[in-house]
Amino acid sequence: MRIKNPKDFWAGLMFIGTGVFFAVFAYANYQMGTAVRMGPAYFPFLLGGLLAFLGLLVFLEGFAFEGEKLVLPFNIVDLVIAIAIFAVLLELAPRIGLSPDWGMLAASLVVSVLTVLYRPNAKALVLISVACLVYGYSMKPLGLVGATAALVFISAYGGHEFKWKEVAILFVILILFSYFVFVKGLTLPFPMWPAAWS
Amino acid sequence: MELFNNLILGFGVAITPINLLYAFIGVLLGTLIGVLPGVGPVATIAMLLPITFNLNPVSALIMLAGIYYGAQYGGSTTAILVNIPGESSSVVTCLDGYQMARQGRAGPALAIAAIGSFFAGCVATLLIAVAAPPLAEIALKFGPSEYFSLMVFGLIAATVLARGSLIKAIAMVVFGLLLGIIGTDVNSGVLRFTFGIPELSDGIGFVVVAMGMFGTAEIIANLDLKDKREVFLSKVTHLYPTKEDLKRSWASILRGTALGSCLGILPGGGALLASFGAYTLEKKVSSHPEQFGKGAIEGVAGPESANNAGAQTSFIPMLTLGIPGNAVMALMIGALMIQGIAPGPQVMNEKPQLFWGLIASMWVGNLMLVVLNLPMIGMWVKLLTVPYRYLYPSILVFMAIGVFSLSNNPFDVLIMAVFGVLGYVCVKLECEPAPMILGFILGPLMEENLRRAMLLSRGDPFVFFQKPISLGFMVASAILLVIVALPTIRKKRDEAFVEESK
Repeated sequence: MRIKNPKDFWAGLMFIGTGVFFAVFAYANYQMGTAVRMGPAYFPFLLGGLLAFLGLLVFLEGFAFEGEKLVLPFNIVDLVIAIAIFAVLLELAPRIGLSPDWGMLAASLVVSVLTVLYRPNAKALVLISVACLVYGYSMKPLGLVGATAALVFISAYGGHEFKWKEVAILFVILILFSYFVFVKGLTLPFPMWPAAWS
Repeated sequence: MELFNNLILGFGVAITPINLLYAFIGVLLGTLIGVLPGVGPVATIAMLLPITFNLNPVSALIMLAGIYYGAQYGGSTTAILVNIPGESSSVVTCLDGYQMARQGRAGPALAIAAIGSFFAGCVATLLIAVAAPPLAEIALKFGPSEYFSLMVFGLIAATVLARGSLIKAIAMVVFGLLLGIIGTDVNSGVLRFTFGIPELSDGIGFVVVAMGMFGTAEIIANLDLKDKREVFLSKVTHLYPTKEDLKRSWASILRGTALGSCLGILPGGGALLASFGAYTLEKKVSSHPEQFGKGAIEGVAGPESANNAGAQTSFIPMLTLGIPGNAVMALMIGALMIQGIAPGPQVMNEKPQLFWGLIASMWVGNLMLVVLNLPMIGMWVKLLTVPYRYLYPSILVFMAIGVFSLSNNPFDVLIMAVFGVLGYVCVKLECEPAPMILGFILGPLMEENLRRAMLLSRGDPFVFFQKPISLGFMVASAILLVIVALPTIRKKRDEAFVEESK
C-alpha cells in the first residue's frame, strides 16, 4: 500500500486519534445513561465514534486518490519530539526548584534554542507559539515591559529578516501603545515593571 | 408601519454620539485590516472581543459589525491596486480590478467598487429589517427537536460551502463539537475532559480558540511564505467613473446585490461565497464574456456588491435564530454571550434597541465607508507599503494582551498557542478551521437540545422526523449532502474553489 495523499493520511490519523480518545475517555470515566436520560458520557461518546469513523474514511481516501504532496518546512515527527521535550522539561522544572511560571519560561527557551540550532525551518512555528507563551508567563515576574519585549524580539526572530535596530524601534512603539491604550485607557491591571524591582 | 417605527427607534440609537463613534472605529478598523493582506476580520474581531466587555452591548456589536463589512470595502482596494486580495472575499476582484488599474483606470474601479458596496449595503440593511422579524417569530415557536435539526442543517450547509474535502469539513465540525463539550456538564455537574486543570472547568474560552486558529496559525502560515509583496502603486488620478462605466455596471450591481443577499442568508454563506458566485454569474450573463479577466468593469461591480450584501445578510440567521452562519457570526454570538445576552429569537423583543440599533448602524456605517474609502484612498494605499515583518509582531502583541486580559491568567495564552499549532497543522492538512469554530460554539447547545428532545420523546430518535419543521431541516440537510456528493456538482464545486484560490 502506497500513501497517495499524505494530507488525507495524516488528517485521517488525527481525526481517528482524537475521536477514539474522546469516546474511550468518556466511556471509561463518565456515566453513559440512556437515550431518554443521557449521562455526561453519551454525547461525547457518540461524537467521538462519529469522528473516528469520518477519520477512517479520510485515512482510506489517502490510499485511494492521488493528492498533492504535503509541504511542511519540517517533519511531523520532529514536531512530536519537540512537544515531548517541552513536556519533559515542564515535569522536571519544579524538581529543580523553579516556580510554574519560570518552569514554563525555561522550557520554552530550551525548545526555542534547540529549534533555532537544529531545525531552523521550523523557526516560524515554534518561535511564534513560544513568543505567545513567554508573554503570558512572564507578565507576572517581568511586568508588561519585559513581557512585551520578549514577545516582540522572539516573534521577530521567527521571521525572515531580523534587524536589531528595527525591532527595538518596533518594541518601543508597541510598549508605548500598550501602555497608553490598555493600561491607561482601558485600565487593565498589568504590572509595568519586573516584580523584583518593586 | 411597524417597520418604520422600528427603524426610527434604530436610528435613534445608532446616531447617538457614542454609537457613531464606535461605528466609526469599527469601519475604520475594518477598512484598515481589509486593506492589509494577511489580517482578517475574524482575527481582528476575536482580538477585540475581550475589550468589548467594558462597552455597552449596543456599542460593542455596532463596532464589531463595522469591522466585518468595513473589511469588504478595504479588501477591494488592495485587490485593485496590488493584485493581492486584502480579504479572502475580494479574491475575484483581483481578476478584473487589477487589469483595470494597469490600464490606468484604477479610479473608476475603486469608485464602482465603493458605489456597488454602498448600494448593496443599503439594500441588505433594509432586507434585514424586513426579513428578520417574521423569521424570529417562527423561531420563537421552535422546540428542542426543531433547534437540533436546525443546527444539523446549519452545520451541514457550512461544510458543503467550505472549500476542500466534504468529509474533512464534517470531521472538523465534529471535532469542534467535541472541544465545545469540555468543561462542566450542566445537567450532572460532572467535569468533562478537564484532566484536573481547574481553568478548564468553565470550558475552553471561545475567544482563545478563535485567536489561535485564525490569528497565530495564520501568522505562522504567512511566515512560511516569503515576503514577496510587490507594490505596484498606480496613481489614482480621475476617480469618477464615466457615463459608459455606470451604464455597464448598474445591472451588475443589482444582480450582485440580489445574489449576495441570498447567499449571505444561507448558513456557511457570507461574503466569500457571494463574491465568487456573483463573478460567475456576471461572466455567464455578459454579452462580451471574453473581456472578463482583461478589465471588465462588471467583474468588479458584481462581486464587490455581492460580498458586501452577503456580509450583511449573514447577520439574519445570527440575529433571529442565534445560529452562526460563518466564523464571524460565531464571534458575534460570542460577543453577545460576553455581555450576558443569550442569542436567539428573543433578542429582538427583549432588546429592541440592540437589534434595531445594530441594523440602523449598518446603514450609517456604510455611508461612513464611502467617505473613508473614496476621498481618503491615498492614505490606505500608503499603508500597503508597511512590510509584514513590522505587522505581525504588532498583531501578536494585541492578541496576547487581549487573551491575557480575559482573566489575567497565562493559561489562556498557553491555550491560544496550542490552538495556533493545531490551526497551522489543520491548514497544512487542508482541513478548514471555520467549520470547527462553528461546531465549537454550537457543541453545548446541540447537546442540550438533543437531550431535551430525547427526554420529551421518551428516547425515540424518530422525533426529528415527525415534526414538520424538524423534518424539513433534516430533509434539506440530506438533499444538500446528496447534491454535493453527485459527481458533476462535485466537479463544478472543486473547479469553483480552485479558480478562487488562485
